Amino acid sequence: MLDRTLHVATWILSRLAPEGEREPLVGDLTEEYALRANATSSSAALKWYLKQVLASAPPLLRVRLTQAAWISTITVALLAYIAVGVAEFSVDWAISNRTATGAFAYKPLGLIITFPMVMFIAYFAARFRRRAPIVLGAMMLLVVTVMTLWTTESMPLWYRIAYFVVGPAAAFLGSAIRSLRPSRS
Amino acid sequence: MKVPNNPLGSLEHIVLLAVMRVGSDAYGMTVRKEIESATGRDISIGAVYATLNRLESKGFIKSHTGEPTAERGGRAKRHFRMTADGKGALRTTHEIILKMSAGLKGLQHT
Repeated sequence: MLDRTLHVATWILSRLAPEGEREPLVGDLTEEYALRANATSSSAALKWYLKQVLASAPPLLRVRLTQAAWISTITVALLAYIAVGVAEFSVDWAISNRTATGAFAYKPLGLIITFPMVMFIAYFAARFRRRAPIVLGAMMLLVVTVMTLWTTESMPLWYRIAYFVVGPAAAFLGSAIRSLRPSRS
Repeated sequence: MKVPNNPLGSLEHIVLLAVMRVGSDAYGMTVRKEIESATGRDISIGAVYATLNRLESKGFIKSHTGEPTAERGGRAKRHFRMTADGKGALRTTHEIILKMSAGLKGLQHT
């Protein structure tokens, strides 16, 4: 009976602990349990063990949720980034179809249309994860920086600056508008 | 060495001091026992590990995995040691506490 209780408690603890902490944490408790069982009795040691498992649950869960929150924030930001890419491509395609040459040109109209679209996507992302628009803005800034450094194509300075500013600014504004909304809780 | 702007939280402070006191044998259970024997505070092993995890992510401690042993059911220990940044954080926190408590009556031991 004692062994079974110990086994169940250990299983619960190992489910609660973050992966990296699992083995050392359970090992520490096992070692201390054996010492206490020798010094006092198995039932006293088990009582101590169960108390440790119960008291350990809230802090370990908090660690796991904090780690999970980061993963979900990055996932939402990535999905938002894909949505921004689709929106930009659609706008470029729609504008190019209406131009006579069809050749790539630096179109202020494209940036103007993209701005509210990115804002809306960031606003929507912030509904799921509050910090996702910040990650989205950072991702856009990083990609634009890399593209600017790698491109051999010459482009007007205004377009270069606008390209840097429009995406992150729209993501920030979308997040700011979302944060203005009173929370439901 | 990076000097942190934010002082340590109270549990972070206690756990970091315990890691320093235990020295080379610092791992989860020895840290927990050190806190218990020095403060009388019955702290859970989960809280110790959660705090050690946070301190490591801040760069105040470093860890390495030891060899698995039979008395631990074949599980390895995770040893912790304080970094230079950790020492800096402790110093900063102590300075803040000393400054804030300077001149206050009733805090000294009689």
